[in-house]
Amino acid sequence: MARRTGSPLTFLSARPRRTRAVDGGNGLGRGWRIHLGSFAFLAPGLVWLLTIAVYPLVATIRNSFYDSTSTNYVGITNYRAVFSTASILVTFRNNVIWVLVFPFLVTFVGLGYAVLAERIRWSTAFKTVVFMPIVFSATASGLVWRTIFDLDPHVGIVNATIQTASSWVDPPGLYPIDTSAGQSVAALASTGVVAGPSDSLQTASTVQAGDVAELGLTGMRPAALQLAGAEKAVVPDPFLGSVSGLVWRDFSPSNPSAKGQVLADEDGIPGLRLSLIRSDGSIAGSTTTDKHGGFRFDRVGGGRFRVQIDARNFGSGFTGIFWLGTRSLTPTNGLNQTAQAILSVPLVDLSMIVAYLWIWAGFAMVVIGAGLAALDREVLEAARIDGASEWQMFRRVTMPMLSPVLVVVLMTMLISVLKIFDIILNMAPGSSQEDANTLALGMYNYGFTGLGDWGLASAIAVILLILVIPAMAFNLRRIRG
Amino acid sequence: MASASYEMEEARRMKQVRLASVLAAATAALLGIGACSSSTNATSSPGAIGGSVTLWGVWQGAEQQAFAAALQPFESETGITVDYTGKGNAIHTALQSAIQGGSPPDVSLLPDPGTVLTLAKQGTIKDLTGIVGNLSSNYGPAWNQLITSNGKLYGVWFRGANKNTIWYNPAEFAAAGITSPPTTWEQLIQDAGTIKAAGIPPFSLCTDIGWPVADFWQNTYLKTAGAAKYNALSTHDIKWTDPTVTTAFTTLRQVIGQPSLLYGGIQGSLSNDWPVCVDRVFPKPGAQPQAAMVFEGDYVVGEVKGNSVNYAPGTTASGGAACTADPSKTPCYNFFDFPAPAANSANSGAVQGAGDVAVLLKNTPQAEALIKYLAGPQGGAIWAHLGGFTSPNNKVPVTAYPDPVTQGDAKALVNATAFVYSLDDLVGTWEPDIFKAMLDFVRDPSDSSIASIEATLDQKATLATGH
Repeated sequence: MARRTGSPLTFLSARPRRTRAVDGGNGLGRGWRIHLGSFAFLAPGLVWLLTIAVYPLVATIRNSFYDSTSTNYVGITNYRAVFSTASILVTFRNNVIWVLVFPFLVTFVGLGYAVLAERIRWSTAFKTVVFMPIVFSATASGLVWRTIFDLDPHVGIVNATIQTASSWVDPPGLYPIDTSAGQSVAALASTGVVAGPSDSLQTASTVQAGDVAELGLTGMRPAALQLAGAEKAVVPDPFLGSVSGLVWRDFSPSNPSAKGQVLADEDGIPGLRLSLIRSDGSIAGSTTTDKHGGFRFDRVGGGRFRVQIDARNFGSGFTGIFWLGTRSLTPTNGLNQTAQAILSVPLVDLSMIVAYLWIWAGFAMVVIGAGLAALDREVLEAARIDGASEWQMFRRVTMPMLSPVLVVVLMTMLISVLKIFDIILNMAPGSSQEDANTLALGMYNYGFTGLGDWGLASAIAVILLILVIPAMAFNLRRIRG
Repeated sequence: MASASYEMEEARRMKQVRLASVLAAATAALLGIGACSSSTNATSSPGAIGGSVTLWGVWQGAEQQAFAAALQPFESETGITVDYTGKGNAIHTALQSAIQGGSPPDVSLLPDPGTVLTLAKQGTIKDLTGIVGNLSSNYGPAWNQLITSNGKLYGVWFRGANKNTIWYNPAEFAAAGITSPPTTWEQLIQDAGTIKAAGIPPFSLCTDIGWPVADFWQNTYLKTAGAAKYNALSTHDIKWTDPTVTTAFTTLRQVIGQPSLLYGGIQGSLSNDWPVCVDRVFPKPGAQPQAAMVFEGDYVVGEVKGNSVNYAPGTTASGGAACTADPSKTPCYNFFDFPAPAANSANSGAVQGAGDVAVLLKNTPQAEALIKYLAGPQGGAIWAHLGGFTSPNNKVPVTAYPDPVTQGDAKALVNATAFVYSLDDLVGTWEPDIFKAMLDFVRDPSDSSIASIEATLDQKATLATGH
């Protein structure tokens, strides 16, 4: 690959040498005529270049020293603002994270894919699948990955997978209470019920054989009740030698303020697992409520008991990780705003890197794969005859021969990541945008949304240009050499 | 301004869905309303002038078509061709470039009064006081105040947005036994508790990049501190560390600081982008509502209608059927005015909103005629009839609106005892800092967090205003 792109450029760079030779041999006059001739041919390209590259560059540099409407000269104010505003420092930090992590990761993964693709049977199909994402627009990819990482396990496949796996270990109850979303089991207690140990509920007072316990709960989701087949709450009759009772939804839509008694439009809560607890804490029996919310513990014997609604009824299981949230992976407690802006690594950055990896791994694979195919087989065979192991061959022969290609991938990805824009705009939810922001997106946001501060946006653009130049120069030199 | 443009743009996108279907009947509607409104309005008939006028605005797509319908009588009565270009979100940048390049449009509609005042100061837009004359009485003083500088009027309002609205799913309110929506803040909190007891999360909180929370907070500030303090805060004549600011935060905390009142708690709220937060209350067919109410401006309707045409305005579905939570049956939508605390009932008529205002950049007879037309009720009435539009013009008859919910919305906008513009749209370049601060408040509503948010905002305001 590298060799192929090399030849036309060598031809280009050979041209001026030839011109110089003609120039020197035949005097100024004829040289100028030749120059004029070539200028005539170069002019359209030159005009094009001046209009779309040089003029905007100069104008941007000029604007970066002017105010928000590019009318008044303000010196280095914009540059000072860039380095003193926390929200712009965040964009630098994110660019640094992207630059440090992404190019190496994608090269590594691309290399893995390329080596793998050489060795498996369905290599073409594999390559097609891996390469396919690059065909999609980054906008579409961003939206797809935003859905994949969605917080709600009903939407996001990542959280759905974790939920499914965790439900084998920690199955959710019939009436899940999501404590991470601010709900609490204790808040369900309405009538005759108090919070028990570890997210269970217990009768407020003790009961004995022959008593009827009424446990009223509030905040029960009507949809969950419907799903469990709830019917009208019925207070069971007392039963000799047994503790009976009911658990019901202590909320009457026709009379929302009435609490404490079982009303006609209130349903029982079915399927609740209950335990009968002795005063010493041991379990005397267990049962489940029927569709009217009724229950009965038979032959309980003497003593006083509490009826307990077990915690497992309310277990919410795994409710989702906010992959696109701003929780930092590095500790940032106690840091001031500027230090936080520089030092935190929000989770959303890593999620986006995964998505971007999905897009670009195919490109890296194809380029590196071409490099692998072009390797000199004789050297490899010589190494094999000399008794090198697979790993030694890869490490000592393949890698050094492949390194020019790897560097090209690395540099291309570096430049791509410095300019990263669309995946962030489309993948990070609104509340994470500020923390996921990068230089290129920040430049757009400051310049073209809202009132538009052209000065600040231009300053960011100039800084971005300065950052890209070394990578560009390095790449150009490599290609030329 | 970003918020105005974000909100309006989103709202626009949503409304397009609806308008596309409505526009099929546009021609018919046009004939009917055109006739009706020309009889109510004889003052703005400047007679045949001819020629043309260039006009810029933000509306594109279906909205552009509706606007074209609203301009139709002007073109046919005066013989002037209106050359309209919809610039979308880029209107500020486009106009700025055009002014610098020396070829601005004759007339432009802008989505915020801040730019109007800036352009007035620059001298790039014309004084309309003499041109508009008596027509300025078509707007409440609060509206004209926003675009008056040094006693000169620099614009005429054409479209308004009412942000004084909390939208609720009537079926969910009924399931919680709430028969009439709350009229005070205290009742709102109490009703939220009742809805929670019924097992339904009361609120779906829109967060997005922070603008919906900013709107929420601004409403709370307006209702607790009043319009005068609100405007003083927008110019930083009141400090952000003022006790009234703290009161607004602690009042709003009764909702935002209670994760159990919010669908999905804090984390779920933070993943609630506009307009997903609206869908949680007014879902598409196939899903069930997950919360009972959502706060945002009247552009919520566009999203609701876009989710299903089944959604009926008001508390009874079409044919008098009961409202259902299931959007595939007979769902409904309705709103109540953002309530003020009982102790601040004097502020209950104050309205936070936004709008589009027309400014004049070149004094041509055609452009002046267009300004006069836009200040009259005729165009607004046509668009109002097409739907997805509220006019701040008090001469646009309430009957022009297609349903009781829109009528109530428009009445609230026109009859506001005080009208304030979204504060974040008034402060200028540090608007994003307000958005960020509001998200920080959602993440941590503690007293110490409020104090640090206030200090940060005050610092930004000082930098921006110089005092």
